[in-house]
Amino acid sequence: MRNSWVEEFWRLLFVLLLAAIAGLLSGYFLLAVCLALLAYIARNLYNLQRLISWLSQPDRASVPVHFGIWGGIYAMVERMRSAHSQRERRLSDLLGQFQASAAALPDAAIALGPMGDIRWFNDAAQQMLGLRRPLDLGQPLVNLFRTPELVQYLRARDFSQALEVTAPGNRSRKLSIRVTHYGDGQLLLLAQDVTERYLSEQIRKDFVANVSHELRTPLTVISGFVENMQIDEASVPQQWRKPLDLIADQAERMRHIVEDLLLLARLESASKESPREPIDVSELCRGITREAQALAGERLQIEVQIASDFGLAGDPVQIRSAFTNLVVNAVNHTPAGGHISLKWRDEGSSSCFEVADDGEGIAPEHIPRLTERFYRVDVGRSRERGGTGLGLAIVKHVLQKHGAALEIESAIGEGSRFTCRFPAHRRISMSA
Amino acid sequence: MDKSELLQHYSHQFNNDLEQIRSAVLAMGGLIEQQLEKAIEALRSAEVEQAEMVVANDYKVNAFDVDIDERCTKILALRQPTASDLRLVLTVIKTTADLERIGDEAKRVARMAIRTGSSDPGRNLYLRIEHLGSQVRQMLHRTLDSFARMDVDEAIEVAHEDRKIDREYESIMRQSMTYMMEDPRSIPLLMDIIWSARALERIGDRCCNICEYVIYFVKGKDVRHTSLEQIQKEFGE
Repeated sequence: MRNSWVEEFWRLLFVLLLAAIAGLLSGYFLLAVCLALLAYIARNLYNLQRLISWLSQPDRASVPVHFGIWGGIYAMVERMRSAHSQRERRLSDLLGQFQASAAALPDAAIALGPMGDIRWFNDAAQQMLGLRRPLDLGQPLVNLFRTPELVQYLRARDFSQALEVTAPGNRSRKLSIRVTHYGDGQLLLLAQDVTERYLSEQIRKDFVANVSHELRTPLTVISGFVENMQIDEASVPQQWRKPLDLIADQAERMRHIVEDLLLLARLESASKESPREPIDVSELCRGITREAQALAGERLQIEVQIASDFGLAGDPVQIRSAFTNLVVNAVNHTPAGGHISLKWRDEGSSSCFEVADDGEGIAPEHIPRLTERFYRVDVGRSRERGGTGLGLAIVKHVLQKHGAALEIESAIGEGSRFTCRFPAHRRISMSA
Repeated sequence: MDKSELLQHYSHQFNNDLEQIRSAVLAMGGLIEQQLEKAIEALRSAEVEQAEMVVANDYKVNAFDVDIDERCTKILALRQPTASDLRLVLTVIKTTADLERIGDEAKRVARMAIRTGSSDPGRNLYLRIEHLGSQVRQMLHRTLDSFARMDVDEAIEVAHEDRKIDREYESIMRQSMTYMMEDPRSIPLLMDIIWSARALERIGDRCCNICEYVIYFVKGKDVRHTSLEQIQKEFGE
C-alpha cells in the first residue's frame, strides 16, 4: 500500500505542476490550480463509485484500476476474497471427507441439538432407525425413536452407561446406545447393533440354567440313596463305610454348587431391581453371628456391633444369602485363634454392612477378580474347605440389585474387610 | 400448512408449548407401543410376569392422558389459538383420547394372557392372533410416525391397512366358531381368543382414527366420515 500512496503523491504533484504551468502561462494561476484540484477530486469520486459498483457485482476478470491508492485497494480486496474462497474450499473438502467417513460407519450416528432435535445423521442411522432425509431434520429424535427407555435416558442426561433397547420397528434386533456431549450443548448419539452378543448371552444363560436344573435331579437321587445306606450301617461292609461318607460329602458339594448356580441364574434373569420388603438388619446380623459362631465353634471369636438404627428395603432372602456368604468366607479363611467382627453402621447418606477378619489377607492382584465365578486365590486350599467359588459372585449380584456396592480391603497377614454400602434410598427407619 | 408455518410465531414460548404437546403425545405413543408389544409377547409366550407388568404400567398411560389434557386446556385458555394452531391442539386432544383407549385394549390383551396362562390348545389360532398382533403393532408404529412427520400420504396408506386387519379378524372369528362347534369344551379358551382378537381389531380402528386426525390437521378438512376412496381422490398425490 505504501507504494500506492507514493504513486498517488507523484500523480498529484504532476497534476499540480501542469496546472501551475498552465496557470503561469495563462496568467490565471490560482484559477488553474483550483480547476486542477477540482478535477482531481472529481476523478477520485468517480473511482469511489466504480469501487462501490465493483464490490456489489464482483467480476474478478476486470479490475478497473491498477494505479495509485485505488489500485492498491482493489488489490487488497482481491487478496481477501481469494483467501476467503480458499478457506471455504478447504472447509468444504473437510466436510465432504467427514461425511463420507461417517456414511461408511457401520454404526448409526446422529447429531442432536441441545433440544434433542436431529441435526444430521448417517446412512446407517437411516437404515437402522428408519429416519428420512431431509424430512426428519429438525424433528426431535424422541418423536420418531419413541422407546420410553430412550426418552428417559435422554431426559436424565446421565450418559455414563450405555443403554440397551430393542430397535424400534424391528423387535428382533437389539441396539446399544451411547451418547456424548460435544460442541455447544450438542449431543452425538451412536447406536450399535448388538443382537449377536445379546443372543449369545441369552444362550449362555439358558444353558447354565438348564444344565443346573438337569443336574439337580440325578444329584438328589444319589444323595438320597447314599443317605439311606449311611443310616443302615449294618448292611454296609466295613471297607465301604468311609468311601460312602466321601461320596455323600462330594454329592453335597455338587448340590451346593448347583444351587448356587441356579440362584445366580435367577438373579441374572430377573428384573433389574429387587423388591422392597422391610428387613430388620440388626436382627439379621445377630442371627448370622450366632450361626457363624456355631459353625466356627471354639476356633474363632465372632462379634457383632450394631451402630445404626436403619433397616433395609429389599429382598430378605437375597440379603441374608449375601451376608451369610461373606461371613462364611471369613470363617473359612481365618485360622484358629482369629477374630471376626460384623458391623452395621451409617456413613453419611449410606449404611454399611461390614465383615472384618484378621485372617490371612488377600494379595492385591487377586482383589479385582475376587467376584468372578469360581475364581480361587489358592485353588487347593479353598476347595478343601468346601467353598463353591460362587459366593462372592452371588454377593455382587445381590448388591447390584439393591443399588449397593461391594468394597474389599485386604493386606497379606493382616486380614480383610468386606463392606456392603447401601444407598440412602434403600434405607428404612426401624422405629416401628 | 407446513412446518415453517408452525414455527412463525411472535411468541417463542407459545411455539415451545405447541412443540411440547406434540412431543408429549408421541412419548405417550411410545409407551403404548411398548405396552402393546409386551402384551402380545406375553400372549404368545404365556409369560404371566410380563403381562402383569403391562397391567401395572397402565397408570403411566393415564398419567400422560391427564397431563396432555391439562396442557391443551391451558393453551386453549391462555393463547386462544386460531387456524392451524387450533387444529393442532384439537388433533392432539383427540389423538390422546384414542391412544388412551388403545392402552386400555392392550391391557385387555395382557389380562387375557394372564388368564390363558400356559394352556396350549388351539395352537393354530394363537399363531393367527400373533400375526394379527404384529400387523396391529406395525400399524400403530406407522400411525405415530405419520403423526410425527405430519405425513398425509403415510396416513392414507396406513388407513388402508385397516382393511387387512378387519379381514384377518373376521377369519379368526370364523375359525373360532368352527372350533367351538367341533369341541364345546374349548369354548372358554376360544372366548378368550376372540376377546383378544377383538381388542386388537379395535386398536386398528383407533389407529385409523388417528390417521384421519393427521389428515384433518394437515389439510384442514374433516375426513372422519369420508370413505377411503374419496380421501384418496381428494388428496392422492
